[in-house]
Amino acid sequence: MSGKEFFLDRYERLGWKYQDVTLKQSIRVNNSNTNGKKLIQRLSDSGTHLQRIPFLESGYWVLNSKVSPGATAEYLLGMYSIQEAAAQIPASVFSHIKGRKVLDAAAAPGGKTVHLADLMENTGEIVALDVDKWRLNALCNHLERCRVSNTVVYLLDAQQASSLNLKFDRVLVDAPCSGNFAADRDWFKNRTLKDIERNAGLQRRILTEAVGCLNEEGEIVYSTCSLEPEEDELNIDWAIKNLNLQIEEIYCTGEKGVTNIFGKQLDPSIKNCKRLWPGETQGFFICKLKKRRLKS
Amino acid sequence: MNTRAITDFASQFGVQITLNLDLMVEKTGRFYLVNPSLKPVVRESFFSAGVYLGKAKEGKFFPSFYLLGMLAKKEANRIFLDKKSAWLFICGRDIFRESIVRIQGPGKKDTNTLVFNEFGECLGFGRIVEKLRESVMSNEIVVRNVLDIGDFLRRER
Repeated sequence: MSGKEFFLDRYERLGWKYQDVTLKQSIRVNNSNTNGKKLIQRLSDSGTHLQRIPFLESGYWVLNSKVSPGATAEYLLGMYSIQEAAAQIPASVFSHIKGRKVLDAAAAPGGKTVHLADLMENTGEIVALDVDKWRLNALCNHLERCRVSNTVVYLLDAQQASSLNLKFDRVLVDAPCSGNFAADRDWFKNRTLKDIERNAGLQRRILTEAVGCLNEEGEIVYSTCSLEPEEDELNIDWAIKNLNLQIEEIYCTGEKGVTNIFGKQLDPSIKNCKRLWPGETQGFFICKLKKRRLKS
Repeated sequence: MNTRAITDFASQFGVQITLNLDLMVEKTGRFYLVNPSLKPVVRESFFSAGVYLGKAKEGKFFPSFYLLGMLAKKEANRIFLDKKSAWLFICGRDIFRESIVRIQGPGKKDTNTLVFNEFGECLGFGRIVEKLRESVMSNEIVVRNVLDIGDFLRRER
Protein backbone atom coordinates (compact mmCIF):
# COMPACT_ATOMS: atom_id res chain seq x y z
CA MET A 1 0.00 0.00 0.00
CA SER A 2 2.07 2.79 -1.37
CA GLY A 3 2.58 4.95 -4.44
CA LYS A 4 1.23 8.28 -5.58
CA GLU A 5 -2.16 6.96 -6.72
CA PHE A 6 -2.77 5.17 -3.45
CA PHE A 7 -2.14 8.30 -1.38
CA LEU A 8 -3.94 10.69 -3.74
CA ASP A 9 -7.01 8.46 -3.57
CA ARG A 10 -6.89 8.68 0.22
CA TYR A 11 -6.65 12.47 0.14
CA GLU A 12 -9.61 12.64 -2.19
CA ARG A 13 -11.64 10.49 0.18
CA LEU A 14 -10.71 12.94 2.93
CA GLY A 15 -12.06 15.80 0.83
CA TRP A 16 -9.03 17.24 -0.97
CA LYS A 17 -8.14 17.08 -4.63
CA TYR A 18 -4.43 16.94 -5.40
CA GLN A 19 -2.69 19.97 -6.81
CA ASP A 20 1.01 20.43 -7.33
CA VAL A 21 2.50 22.92 -4.91
CA THR A 22 5.57 25.13 -5.01
CA LEU A 23 6.27 26.41 -1.53
CA LYS A 24 7.29 30.02 -1.04
CA GLN A 25 10.19 30.65 1.30
CA SER A 26 9.08 32.32 4.49
CA ILE A 27 10.68 33.94 7.50
CA ARG A 28 9.51 34.72 11.03
CA VAL A 29 10.59 37.91 12.76
CA ASN A 30 12.15 37.34 16.18
CA ASN A 31 10.46 40.20 17.99
CA SER A 32 12.72 39.77 21.04
CA ASN A 33 15.70 40.84 18.95
CA THR A 34 14.35 43.47 16.59
CA ASN A 35 11.53 45.74 15.60
CA GLY A 36 9.63 44.06 12.76
CA LYS A 37 8.91 47.23 10.81
CA LYS A 38 12.51 48.40 10.90
CA LEU A 39 13.75 44.95 9.91
CA ILE A 40 11.46 44.79 6.88
CA GLN A 41 12.71 48.22 5.76
CA ARG A 42 16.32 47.26 6.34
CA LEU A 43 15.97 44.05 4.35
CA SER A 44 14.17 45.91 1.59
CA ASP A 45 17.03 48.44 1.42
CA SER A 46 19.45 45.59 0.85
CA GLY A 47 17.31 43.91 -1.81
CA THR A 48 15.18 41.41 0.09
CA HIS A 49 11.49 42.06 -0.51
CA LEU A 50 8.89 40.52 1.75
CA GLN A 51 5.14 40.12 1.88
CA ARG A 52 3.23 39.78 5.12
CA ILE A 53 1.61 36.37 5.57
CA PRO A 54 -1.98 37.30 6.41
CA PHE A 55 -2.67 34.42 8.78
CA LEU A 56 0.49 34.79 10.87
CA GLU A 57 1.55 37.28 13.51
CA SER A 58 5.19 37.71 12.49
CA GLY A 59 5.53 35.74 9.27
CA TYR A 60 6.59 37.02 5.83
CA TRP A 61 6.99 35.40 2.46
CA VAL A 62 10.22 36.16 0.66
CA LEU A 63 9.19 37.56 -2.73
CA ASN A 64 12.70 38.07 -4.05
CA SER A 65 16.12 38.51 -2.59
CA LYS A 66 19.54 39.54 -3.90
CA VAL A 67 21.23 37.42 -1.24
CA SER A 68 20.16 34.19 0.36
CA PRO A 69 17.87 35.01 3.33
CA GLY A 70 19.94 32.53 5.31
CA ALA A 71 23.14 34.53 4.85
CA THR A 72 22.26 38.14 5.66
CA ALA A 73 23.75 40.00 8.62
CA GLU A 74 20.21 40.38 9.98
CA TYR A 75 19.71 36.61 9.92
CA LEU A 76 23.09 35.96 11.53
CA LEU A 77 22.21 38.50 14.23
CA GLY A 78 19.08 36.50 15.07
CA MET A 79 16.58 39.08 13.93
CA TYR A 80 14.60 36.50 12.01
CA SER A 81 14.41 32.79 11.42
CA ILE A 82 13.71 30.95 8.21
CA GLN A 83 10.61 28.98 9.01
CA GLU A 84 7.95 27.49 6.75
CA ALA A 85 4.63 29.29 7.15
CA ALA A 86 2.64 26.39 8.64
CA ALA A 87 5.49 25.61 11.05
CA GLN A 88 4.99 29.09 12.52
CA ILE A 89 1.54 28.15 13.81
CA PRO A 90 2.01 25.54 16.60
CA ALA A 91 3.90 27.68 19.13
CA SER A 92 1.38 30.49 18.70
CA VAL A 93 -1.57 28.26 19.59
CA PHE A 94 -0.72 28.08 23.31
CA SER A 95 -2.53 30.49 25.60
CA HIS A 96 -0.73 32.66 28.17
CA ILE A 97 2.71 31.23 27.56
CA LYS A 98 4.86 33.95 29.14
CA GLY A 99 6.56 32.86 32.35
CA ARG A 100 5.43 29.22 31.97
CA LYS A 101 7.35 25.99 32.16
CA VAL A 102 7.29 24.56 28.64
CA LEU A 103 8.41 21.21 27.22
CA ASP A 104 9.39 21.04 23.57
CA ALA A 105 9.31 17.28 23.26
CA ALA A 106 10.94 16.79 19.84
CA ALA A 107 12.76 20.06 19.46
CA ALA A 108 15.54 19.84 16.89
CA PRO A 109 16.46 21.67 14.75
CA GLY A 110 14.88 24.29 16.99
CA GLY A 111 12.71 26.54 14.84
CA LYS A 112 9.73 26.13 17.14
CA THR A 113 11.88 26.28 20.29
CA VAL A 114 13.14 29.71 19.24
CA HIS A 115 9.57 30.73 18.39
CA LEU A 116 8.41 29.64 21.86
CA ALA A 117 11.24 31.63 23.49
CA ASP A 118 10.32 34.65 21.40
CA LEU A 119 6.65 34.44 22.41
CA MET A 120 7.73 34.00 26.04
CA GLU A 121 10.11 36.97 25.72
CA ASN A 122 12.73 34.69 27.26
CA THR A 123 10.76 34.41 30.51
CA GLY A 124 9.85 31.11 32.18
CA GLU A 125 11.65 27.93 31.22
CA ILE A 126 11.78 25.77 28.13
CA VAL A 127 13.05 22.22 28.26
CA ALA A 128 13.95 21.05 24.75
CA LEU A 129 14.50 17.37 23.98
CA ASP A 130 15.74 15.45 21.00
CA VAL A 131 17.31 12.06 20.37
CA ASP A 132 19.71 13.13 17.65
CA LYS A 133 22.96 14.66 18.86
CA TRP A 134 23.84 16.10 15.46
CA ARG A 135 20.47 17.84 15.25
CA LEU A 136 20.87 19.09 18.83
CA ASN A 137 24.05 20.88 17.75
CA ALA A 138 22.00 22.63 15.08
CA LEU A 139 19.42 23.49 17.72
CA CYS A 140 22.08 24.97 20.03
CA ASN A 141 23.48 27.07 17.17
CA HIS A 142 19.96 28.29 16.50
CA LEU A 143 19.49 29.22 20.18
CA GLU A 144 22.84 31.05 20.28
CA ARG A 145 22.18 32.93 17.03
CA CYS A 146 18.77 34.06 18.27
CA ARG A 147 20.05 34.86 21.77
CA VAL A 148 17.62 32.54 23.52
CA SER A 149 18.32 32.47 27.25
CA ASN A 150 15.48 30.50 28.84
CA THR A 151 16.11 27.01 27.47
CA VAL A 152 17.74 23.84 28.78
CA VAL A 153 18.48 21.20 26.16
CA TYR A 154 18.69 17.46 26.76
CA LEU A 155 19.78 14.61 24.53
CA LEU A 156 16.74 12.57 25.49
CA ASP A 157 14.00 10.61 23.76
CA ALA A 158 10.62 12.29 24.24
CA GLN A 159 9.32 8.86 25.26
CA GLN A 160 11.48 9.22 28.38
CA ALA A 161 10.62 12.83 29.23
CA SER A 162 9.27 11.83 32.65
CA SER A 163 12.79 10.76 33.70
CA LEU A 164 13.51 14.48 34.24
CA ASN A 165 10.95 14.53 37.08
CA LEU A 166 9.45 17.81 35.93
CA LYS A 167 5.87 18.90 35.38
CA PHE A 168 5.07 21.35 32.61
CA ASP A 169 2.40 23.99 32.01
CA ARG A 170 2.68 23.69 28.25
CA VAL A 171 3.93 20.80 26.12
CA LEU A 172 4.65 21.06 22.42
CA VAL A 173 4.56 17.70 20.68
CA ASP A 174 5.67 18.56 17.18
CA ALA A 175 5.86 14.89 16.54
CA PRO A 176 8.37 13.09 14.34
CA CYS A 177 6.21 12.23 11.34
CA SER A 178 6.11 10.99 7.75
CA GLY A 179 6.18 14.51 6.29
CA ASN A 180 4.31 15.40 3.13
CA PHE A 181 4.85 15.64 -0.61
CA ALA A 182 4.89 19.46 -0.67
CA ALA A 183 8.10 19.54 1.34
CA ASP A 184 9.66 16.40 -0.17
CA ARG A 185 9.62 15.83 -3.93
CA ASP A 186 10.26 12.09 -3.52
CA TRP A 187 7.68 11.62 -0.84
CA PHE A 188 5.34 9.35 -2.83
CA LYS A 189 8.23 7.12 -3.86
CA ASN A 190 9.56 6.69 -0.35
CA ARG A 191 6.53 6.16 1.85
CA THR A 192 4.29 3.20 2.53
CA LEU A 193 1.27 2.82 4.76
CA LYS A 194 3.40 0.62 6.99
CA ASP A 195 5.86 3.51 7.61
CA ILE A 196 2.96 5.74 8.48
CA GLU A 197 1.48 3.26 10.94
CA ARG A 198 4.88 2.85 12.58
CA ASN A 199 5.18 6.63 13.00
CA ALA A 200 1.64 6.80 14.34
CA GLY A 201 2.61 4.32 17.04
CA LEU A 202 5.63 6.38 18.03
CA GLN A 203 3.49 9.52 18.16
CA ARG A 204 1.00 7.81 20.50
CA ARG A 205 3.82 6.81 22.82
CA ILE A 206 5.19 10.38 22.84
CA LEU A 207 1.70 11.77 23.50
CA THR A 208 1.24 9.34 26.39
CA GLU A 209 4.53 10.50 27.93
CA ALA A 210 3.60 14.15 27.34
CA VAL A 211 0.37 13.70 29.29
CA GLY A 212 2.36 12.20 32.17
CA CYS A 213 4.52 15.36 32.30
CA LEU A 214 1.61 17.80 32.09
CA ASN A 215 0.24 19.86 34.97
CA GLU A 216 -3.48 19.44 35.66
CA GLU A 217 -4.40 22.73 33.97
CA GLY A 218 -1.72 22.43 31.30
CA GLU A 219 -2.02 22.45 27.52
CA ILE A 220 -0.53 20.16 24.89
CA VAL A 221 -0.19 21.33 21.32
CA TYR A 222 0.18 18.37 18.99
CA SER A 223 1.30 18.96 15.42
CA THR A 224 2.64 17.04 12.47
CA CYS A 225 3.54 17.94 8.92
CA SER A 226 1.86 14.73 7.77
CA LEU A 227 -1.36 14.55 5.78
CA GLU A 228 -2.00 10.98 6.83
CA PRO A 229 -4.98 10.59 9.18
CA GLU A 230 -3.26 7.80 11.13
CA GLU A 231 -0.79 10.44 12.37
CA ASP A 232 -3.41 13.14 12.76
CA GLU A 233 -7.13 12.74 13.45
CA LEU A 234 -6.96 9.00 14.24
CA ASN A 235 -4.17 9.56 16.77
CA ILE A 236 -6.07 12.39 18.44
CA ASP A 237 -9.27 10.32 18.51
CA TRP A 238 -7.25 7.60 20.20
CA ALA A 239 -5.75 10.13 22.65
CA ILE A 240 -9.07 11.57 23.80
CA LYS A 241 -10.42 8.04 24.34
CA ASN A 242 -7.35 6.61 26.07
CA LEU A 243 -5.46 9.50 27.70
CA ASN A 244 -8.36 11.39 29.27
CA LEU A 245 -7.81 14.42 27.06
CA GLN A 246 -10.18 16.88 25.48
CA ILE A 247 -9.68 19.02 22.41
CA GLU A 248 -9.69 22.78 22.76
CA GLU A 249 -10.85 25.05 19.99
CA ILE A 250 -8.02 26.92 18.25
CA TYR A 251 -8.13 29.97 16.06
CA CYS A 252 -5.71 29.69 13.20
CA THR A 253 -5.78 29.13 9.47
CA GLY A 254 -6.77 25.69 8.16
CA GLU A 255 -9.75 23.45 7.64
CA LYS A 256 -11.65 21.59 10.33
CA GLY A 257 -10.31 18.18 11.30
CA VAL A 258 -11.94 15.32 9.42
CA THR A 259 -14.40 13.43 11.63
CA ASN A 260 -15.06 10.51 9.31
CA ILE A 261 -11.92 8.71 8.20
CA PHE A 262 -12.56 6.15 5.45
CA GLY A 263 -15.94 5.27 7.00
CA LYS A 264 -14.80 5.30 10.62
CA GLN A 265 -16.72 7.89 12.66
CA LEU A 266 -14.50 9.76 15.12
CA ASP A 267 -15.34 11.84 18.16
CA PRO A 268 -17.18 14.97 16.92
CA SER A 269 -14.75 17.25 18.78
CA ILE A 270 -12.08 16.25 16.23
CA LYS A 271 -13.54 19.02 14.07
CA ASN A 272 -11.73 21.45 16.40
CA CYS A 273 -8.39 20.24 15.08
CA LYS A 274 -6.93 22.09 12.10
CA ARG A 275 -5.80 20.44 8.90
CA LEU A 276 -3.79 22.46 6.36
CA TRP A 277 -3.78 20.93 2.89
CA PRO A 278 -0.79 21.95 0.76
CA GLY A 279 -1.22 25.23 -1.07
CA GLU A 280 -0.15 28.43 0.62
CA THR A 281 1.75 26.26 3.08
CA GLN A 282 3.00 22.71 3.25
CA GLY A 283 0.63 20.09 4.64
CA PHE A 284 0.12 20.36 8.39
CA PHE A 285 -2.07 19.25 11.27
CA ILE A 286 -2.47 21.03 14.62
CA CYS A 287 -4.59 20.59 17.69
CA LYS A 288 -4.63 21.71 21.29
CA LEU A 289 -5.39 19.29 24.10
CA LYS A 290 -6.10 19.60 27.79
CA LYS A 291 -6.73 17.07 30.51
CA ARG A 292 -10.44 16.36 30.79
CA ARG A 293 -11.96 17.82 33.92
CA LEU A 294 -13.76 15.33 36.15
CA LYS A 295 -17.45 16.12 36.49
CA SER A 296 -18.39 16.68 40.12
CA MET B 1 34.29 26.11 38.91
CA ASN B 2 37.24 27.91 37.38
CA THR B 3 35.95 30.77 35.27
CA ARG B 4 39.32 32.43 34.87
CA ALA B 5 39.37 31.67 31.15
CA ILE B 6 36.29 33.88 30.76
CA THR B 7 37.46 36.76 32.93
CA ASP B 8 40.91 36.68 31.32
CA PHE B 9 39.29 36.82 27.92
CA ALA B 10 37.21 39.85 28.95
CA SER B 11 40.31 41.63 30.22
CA GLN B 12 41.80 41.47 26.72
CA PHE B 13 39.09 43.98 25.75
CA GLY B 14 39.96 46.29 28.63
CA VAL B 15 36.96 45.31 30.79
CA GLN B 16 36.34 43.26 33.88
CA ILE B 17 33.31 41.05 34.27
CA THR B 18 31.97 39.40 37.38
CA LEU B 19 30.17 36.10 37.05
CA ASN B 20 27.74 34.76 39.63
CA LEU B 21 29.12 31.28 40.17
CA ASP B 22 25.80 30.11 41.62
CA LEU B 23 24.28 30.65 38.20
CA MET B 24 27.07 29.10 36.17
CA VAL B 25 27.10 25.52 34.97
CA GLU B 26 29.90 23.77 33.16
CA LYS B 27 30.10 20.65 31.07
CA THR B 28 33.17 19.32 29.28
CA GLY B 29 34.85 22.72 29.29
CA ARG B 30 31.75 24.54 28.08
CA PHE B 31 30.42 27.29 30.30
CA TYR B 32 26.78 28.31 30.59
CA LEU B 33 24.99 31.06 32.48
CA VAL B 34 21.46 30.31 33.65
CA ASN B 35 18.88 32.55 35.25
CA PRO B 36 17.61 31.69 38.75
CA SER B 37 14.33 30.19 37.54
CA LEU B 38 16.09 28.00 34.99
CA LYS B 39 18.58 26.49 37.41
CA PRO B 40 16.10 24.04 39.05
CA VAL B 41 15.39 22.42 35.67
CA VAL B 42 19.07 21.82 34.91
CA ARG B 43 19.90 18.16 35.50
CA GLU B 44 23.40 16.70 35.42
CA SER B 45 22.72 15.21 32.00
CA PHE B 46 22.01 18.56 30.29
CA PHE B 47 23.27 19.16 26.75
CA SER B 48 23.12 22.96 26.95
CA ALA B 49 21.57 25.34 29.46
CA GLY B 50 20.66 29.01 29.44
CA VAL B 51 23.20 31.03 27.54
CA TYR B 52 26.41 29.50 26.28
CA LEU B 53 29.41 31.66 27.19
CA GLY B 54 32.16 29.72 25.48
CA LYS B 55 34.51 26.79 25.82
CA ALA B 56 37.99 26.33 27.23
CA LYS B 57 40.11 23.83 25.36
CA GLU B 58 43.84 23.13 25.56
CA GLY B 59 44.56 26.43 27.28
CA LYS B 60 42.57 28.48 24.78
CA PHE B 61 39.19 30.10 25.24
CA PHE B 62 36.60 30.21 22.47
CA PRO B 63 33.88 32.75 23.32
CA SER B 64 30.25 32.65 22.29
CA PHE B 65 28.47 35.55 20.66
CA TYR B 66 26.41 35.97 23.80
CA LEU B 67 29.61 36.62 25.78
CA LEU B 68 30.68 39.18 23.16
CA GLY B 69 27.25 40.76 23.64
CA MET B 70 27.91 40.96 27.39
CA LEU B 71 31.23 42.71 26.72
CA ALA B 72 29.51 45.03 24.26
CA LYS B 73 27.27 46.26 27.08
CA LYS B 74 30.42 47.33 28.93
CA GLU B 75 33.10 49.78 27.89
CA ALA B 76 35.01 47.19 25.89
CA ASN B 77 37.32 48.27 23.07
CA ARG B 78 35.39 48.55 19.84
CA ILE B 79 35.61 49.70 16.29
CA PHE B 80 32.83 50.58 13.88
CA LEU B 81 33.06 49.61 10.23
CA ASP B 82 31.53 51.01 7.08
CA LYS B 83 28.84 48.97 5.37
CA LYS B 84 31.01 47.16 2.82
CA SER B 85 33.74 46.31 5.31
CA ALA B 86 31.18 45.05 7.82
CA TRP B 87 29.98 42.60 5.17
CA LEU B 88 33.53 41.53 4.34
CA PHE B 89 34.22 41.02 8.05
CA ILE B 90 31.22 38.67 8.31
CA CYS B 91 32.73 36.78 5.40
CA GLY B 92 35.84 36.20 7.48
CA ARG B 93 38.07 38.99 6.17
CA ASP B 94 40.52 41.12 8.15
CA ILE B 95 40.07 44.86 8.57
CA PHE B 96 41.92 47.69 6.84
CA ARG B 97 42.49 51.07 8.47
CA GLU B 98 40.34 52.81 5.88
CA SER B 99 37.33 50.61 6.77
CA ILE B 100 37.11 51.91 10.33
CA VAL B 101 34.76 54.84 10.78
CA ARG B 102 35.07 55.12 14.56
CA ILE B 103 37.27 53.81 17.38
CA GLN B 104 36.27 53.51 21.01
CA GLY B 105 38.98 52.66 23.54
CA PRO B 106 42.76 52.95 23.34
CA GLY B 107 43.10 50.67 20.31
CA LYS B 108 46.45 49.36 21.52
CA LYS B 109 48.39 46.81 19.52
CA ASP B 110 48.10 43.16 20.65
CA THR B 111 44.76 43.64 22.39
CA ASN B 112 41.30 42.55 21.27
CA THR B 113 38.53 44.73 19.93
CA LEU B 114 34.86 44.12 19.33
CA VAL B 115 33.75 44.86 15.79
CA PHE B 116 30.49 46.70 15.14
CA ASN B 117 28.54 47.62 12.04
CA GLU B 118 27.00 50.98 11.19
CA PHE B 119 23.89 50.08 13.25
CA GLY B 120 25.94 49.50 16.40
CA GLU B 121 25.50 45.70 16.27
CA CYS B 122 28.35 43.48 17.37
CA LEU B 123 29.56 41.29 14.50
CA GLY B 124 32.44 39.59 16.27
CA PHE B 125 35.92 40.45 17.43
CA GLY B 126 39.44 40.76 16.18
CA ARG B 127 43.05 41.15 17.27
CA ILE B 128 44.60 44.58 16.84
CA VAL B 129 47.84 44.08 14.93
CA GLU B 130 48.73 47.75 14.34
CA LYS B 131 48.05 50.71 16.63
CA LEU B 132 44.65 51.96 15.56
CA ARG B 133 45.16 55.57 16.46
CA GLU B 134 48.39 55.99 14.59
CA SER B 135 48.33 56.97 10.98
CA VAL B 136 49.29 53.99 8.91
CA MET B 137 48.81 53.17 5.26
CA SER B 138 45.07 52.99 4.54
CA ASN B 139 45.43 49.62 2.82
CA GLU B 140 47.26 48.04 5.75
CA ILE B 141 45.51 45.38 7.83
CA VAL B 142 45.08 46.71 11.37
CA VAL B 143 42.69 44.14 12.87
CA ARG B 144 42.83 40.42 12.25
CA ASN B 145 39.45 38.68 12.20
CA VAL B 146 39.24 36.14 15.04
CA LEU B 147 35.50 35.44 15.19
CA ASP B 148 32.54 36.79 13.24
CA ILE B 149 28.85 35.93 13.02
CA GLY B 150 29.40 34.24 9.66
CA ASP B 151 30.65 31.41 11.86
CA PHE B 152 27.00 30.34 12.29
CA LEU B 153 27.02 29.37 8.62
CA ARG B 154 30.51 27.89 8.57
CA ARG B 155 30.01 25.66 11.60
CA GLU B 156 27.03 23.87 10.00
CA ARG B 157 28.85 22.93 6.81
